[in-house]
Amino acid sequence: MPAQNTVAHDLPDAAARAFMDQVIAKRGKRPGSLLGILEAVQEHDGHKHLSLGALRYVAERTHVPLARIYSVATFYSLFNLQPQGDNTICICRGTACHTRGSRKLLESLRLELGLNDAGHLGEADKLSVTTPDGKFTIRTVACFGQCALAPVAEVNHRICGHVNERTLEREVQALEREHR
Amino acid sequence: MPAIQDISTFHAVRETGLNKLVPPVPRVAIGMGTCGRGNGAEGLYHAFAEAIDRTGADVQLTGVGCFGACSEEPLVNIRLPGRALVVLRRAQANDAERILHDISMGQITPDLAYCRVDEWDHITAHVKYGPGYPELPSWNEVPFFKGQKKIVLRNCGFINPDDIEESIAVGGYEALYKVLIDGRPEIVIEQIKASKLRGRGGAGYLTGNKWEFLAKAKADQKYIICNADEGDPGAYMNRNEIESDPHSLLEGMIIGGYVMGATEGIIYVRAEYPLAVHRLKRAIEQATEYGMLGENILGRGFRFNIELVEGAGAFVCGEETALIASLEGQAGRPRPRPPFPAQKGLWGKPTNINNVETWYNIAPIVTKGPAWFTETGSAKSSGTKVFSLVGKVQNTGLVEMPLGTPLKNFIYDIGEGGVNGRTIKAVQTGGPSGGCIPQDMFDTPVDYESLGQLGSIMGSGGMVVMDEDNCMVDVARYFIEFTRSESCGKCVPCRVGLNQALRILNGFTEGTGPVDRLDVLDELSRMIRDCSLCGLGQTAPNPVLTTMRHFRHEFEDHVVAQRCRAGVCEELALSPCENSCPLHMNIPRFLQLYKEGRMEDAFEAVIMDNPLPSSTGRVCQHPCDNRCRRQTVDEAVNMREVHRLIADSILTSDRYEEMVGRIVARRFPPTGYKIAIAGAGPTGLTAAFYLAMLGHEVTVFDAKSEAGGMLRFALPDYRLPKSVLRREVELIERVGVQFVFNTRVGFDVPLNELDERFDAVFISIGTWKDSWVYLPGTELKGVHTALHVLESVAKKEEMPLGRRVAIIGGGNAAIDSARTALRRGSEVLILYRRERNDMPAIEEETEAAQQEGAKIEFLVAPHRIIGDAQGNVKAIEVVKTRLGEYDSSGRRKPVPTGEIRRFECDNVILAVGESFDLDFARASGLQMKESGTIEVDRFTLETSRSTFYAGGDVITGASNVSNAMGYGKKAARNIDERLMGVHRWTQLFPEFDYDQTPPEQPVESRRHTGHHVPVGARARSFDEVVLGLTAEEAHEEACRCLRCDIKSVNAG
Repeated sequence: MPAQNTVAHDLPDAAARAFMDQVIAKRGKRPGSLLGILEAVQEHDGHKHLSLGALRYVAERTHVPLARIYSVATFYSLFNLQPQGDNTICICRGTACHTRGSRKLLESLRLELGLNDAGHLGEADKLSVTTPDGKFTIRTVACFGQCALAPVAEVNHRICGHVNERTLEREVQALEREHR
Repeated sequence: MPAIQDISTFHAVRETGLNKLVPPVPRVAIGMGTCGRGNGAEGLYHAFAEAIDRTGADVQLTGVGCFGACSEEPLVNIRLPGRALVVLRRAQANDAERILHDISMGQITPDLAYCRVDEWDHITAHVKYGPGYPELPSWNEVPFFKGQKKIVLRNCGFINPDDIEESIAVGGYEALYKVLIDGRPEIVIEQIKASKLRGRGGAGYLTGNKWEFLAKAKADQKYIICNADEGDPGAYMNRNEIESDPHSLLEGMIIGGYVMGATEGIIYVRAEYPLAVHRLKRAIEQATEYGMLGENILGRGFRFNIELVEGAGAFVCGEETALIASLEGQAGRPRPRPPFPAQKGLWGKPTNINNVETWYNIAPIVTKGPAWFTETGSAKSSGTKVFSLVGKVQNTGLVEMPLGTPLKNFIYDIGEGGVNGRTIKAVQTGGPSGGCIPQDMFDTPVDYESLGQLGSIMGSGGMVVMDEDNCMVDVARYFIEFTRSESCGKCVPCRVGLNQALRILNGFTEGTGPVDRLDVLDELSRMIRDCSLCGLGQTAPNPVLTTMRHFRHEFEDHVVAQRCRAGVCEELALSPCENSCPLHMNIPRFLQLYKEGRMEDAFEAVIMDNPLPSSTGRVCQHPCDNRCRRQTVDEAVNMREVHRLIADSILTSDRYEEMVGRIVARRFPPTGYKIAIAGAGPTGLTAAFYLAMLGHEVTVFDAKSEAGGMLRFALPDYRLPKSVLRREVELIERVGVQFVFNTRVGFDVPLNELDERFDAVFISIGTWKDSWVYLPGTELKGVHTALHVLESVAKKEEMPLGRRVAIIGGGNAAIDSARTALRRGSEVLILYRRERNDMPAIEEETEAAQQEGAKIEFLVAPHRIIGDAQGNVKAIEVVKTRLGEYDSSGRRKPVPTGEIRRFECDNVILAVGESFDLDFARASGLQMKESGTIEVDRFTLETSRSTFYAGGDVITGASNVSNAMGYGKKAARNIDERLMGVHRWTQLFPEFDYDQTPPEQPVESRRHTGHHVPVGARARSFDEVVLGLTAEEAHEEACRCLRCDIKSVNAG
């Protein structure tokens, strides 16, 4: 079973609760605001994820059943139920990138970070795996819309075009040095 | 700025905007779309800002959107007052200073200039930028823009997207103003209907009809939605439209709101497009401030608001009912229609949903009228469409073309063909809902109906080009992997069906899928298509169905022969080099054995994989280089030269006898079967070697007096010394092959006789018949065919070529004849009807010929040969050609221009191709193909006649030595399996223990190539020109191998 389907159990602290109250107060009145609330809560979280505690808290405050919140949080690939690593490398799995070898890039990156057994290969287009030390998360995206730069990777929200196994390796090494 | 409430304020704002767009000072505008930024536009902008700050230059610096030529980014457009706008390309931060310097001198930096724009039709307004720079091409003279018509992208790359005033300057919100003043919504709907505008999201439903439904719906609240959830991988036009010109989208929606009676608009945009979100937010704020949104719009009493909602990464939300569910704060699962959104949409209210690009077409139709709009495009598909031309094509970017333009214009004219000379195989349109269209159907016009007929769709406009390195089975698998994981899971056909389809396709790419799964997959795909609830499931099988329809042979290769020619499916290959080698040599193995200093083992490994290793070590076209993974570090490993060295060092040494003994000892015990082979060329020799090794009694017949075929009688000595070939043939004889020379199969010995005397017959004769050009003057003395010349020289016969030789053709035979004639002391002129990079000859050979003094005239076709009174050649006349349309080979067709040129010469060599005389085969009942070759089963090489096999040139037409040998090897394997009834093939090959550790981190190193004898020393000699590597060089080459054959290693 992919790791993302299990939920971490942690209770949000006072500051996090205050933030959620604020977001819900601002958006919660309007129907259809759930996605926006969850996006804001996740963005505010230090590890960019939605803990079960946070989901419970949102359910309680918005009077939306937890089951529905869970269904939303697991449906959209943007939401993370697991804490994200300090660094995120996102490989685009769009068609243009695929024709220019992005699958190989992804495989070599997983090998490089020792994550080659995490997640099923069949899930390659919706992958999100984090190293045990929490330093790196590898994700994939359906398409960045940067097809003319294919293959594309996003390293900590910076788009890198025309990457190959070597340049990606250098990016990882640079990040490792920074965090040493 | 107070909201605009009257026309005079509106005009005043427009003047302010125009003053920014065409200011009285130089303007420098940087393309700051996401693709520009990805190529360094931000650094460039800062460099300009810093330099302007420092020098105090009176220059207006601004950011604009993208002009579409993404592969040329960062683009910068520069306008000096009163002069044309000039687009610069690939400008980098360190160029900023000199660009500014040139501007201060009233000049444009010449080496960066891409094109100029004198005036621009912004459709809703017209701007004259100015004259000047006649030396630069106008924008629509540049191949990438030729034929483009920018209606949707009318403002992209010109205006600052963050400034509503610049938008108003180029006619923004004027159509809205007109509609509000006219106050006749029904007329606008009539206009949209008459324009025949169709939804640009993919399905192509008529927009006017959709609008009419909502306009007629009665409700207290109606919604209109812009679908900007551009989820199709490979398509990004909506991102660029929003990033470059957000106000035109807002204007379209506000008009829509007014006309359909809605007051609330929602834009649902992908969260993966942060810049688009940012620019839209800014645009909505500005539009509200200027009175285009909110209460009492433009003082005309209409109220309308637009809200921005970010999607959260679910492809299915592009489906309209799923999108609505998502807006309602739920998981984005679709529901059945009817009721349609126009009846019951968001929150149960009537709702209209249109794609981003549809909205961009509204203002132009309102301003210019439907008759103007239908002038562009085809009868059923009017207007233009923006396509993202990406993948394996030279020029990538966003292309706006009239609907109905043939595919080949996109790929070859705008895209300028494949990357690095690779052959384009297909184009994928419509993303995961679309399909793959093969290269031979590139005449197809791009419109909704024509693409539909091929099983594909227009979709949102993605065009992903695929070349010979892309595997179509893998492409099908890729899309199913995508749709399977994007399936919302609501209906069974989609959720379960796609999962099963993926399992089957995984089996194909791993080589485990049984053949009958092909039919299962076909049936399953049709079931998913017919039974799924929403568009996602209904269209998800299209990539499979179209690839199975147009690329059936690739599926069969995977399933029947476990081969992936493109080399993508790694489980089916040892390594990329092995996969691209027609003989499937285990290249990493011989490199490693050599590296370990085990020369005898290396030789055994090489010769068992390839019985003519010294010859192929010299003349093989080395396809192994093309896919060598070392290229990602520096250059491909020179595998051919290493195996040449291994072969040479045994074949020409005293270890030869010992090695022959070792090979002969591997021979299987006699089987008693007798096999005849027709033709002792590379194909026949290869088949003979393996069949003899397998214990059969093999007799090879050949019309010539010696073995070797083209290697012996067509390849000149300076490329392949015959002593080398003789050693190889000797080894083949020593394993038991018998030769019968000077005997033509089908003439001297009839096929029926072979049938009686032998258990199996393999036909592998070569293309010994020269093609002929029918020209006036070919009857003259001094006109020869290339093969005739080469054979005569190879046989050391008298072959006078005179003082000046003209050679017609551009293949290897032409180059071989040229270099032979040069060695005979002639002056040589090669006449070729296309361009240099179209020449089929091996590149290095052409280069060597030119170094040795051959002249080549390109773009000329022979017209006539002129003789003197004695009937001898005196001169040749040629007609200049120019390159016209692309033909089905993906090359431009040469078209005669009528301009005649004359060259004096005393001999003419025709090198225009080779064919063969296969009448005997036809006469004895073998089925032939239309092309004149023998029909065989692709996988077993069996002909229509039982126990008869054929391979090599006779089934493919003229090819090259390694391809030919590949067929010989394949034939031997199949013949043996058929005769013996068991699989013995793999037992024939030796196994070696050798190091299986992957190499350390590679360090950049140069590729060693064979040493050419200096031109002066070789030009008149038939001695070998390219000498092999030294032992150290070969060792270094072997060390450069990245060992792709070692798999499943955890380096982490």
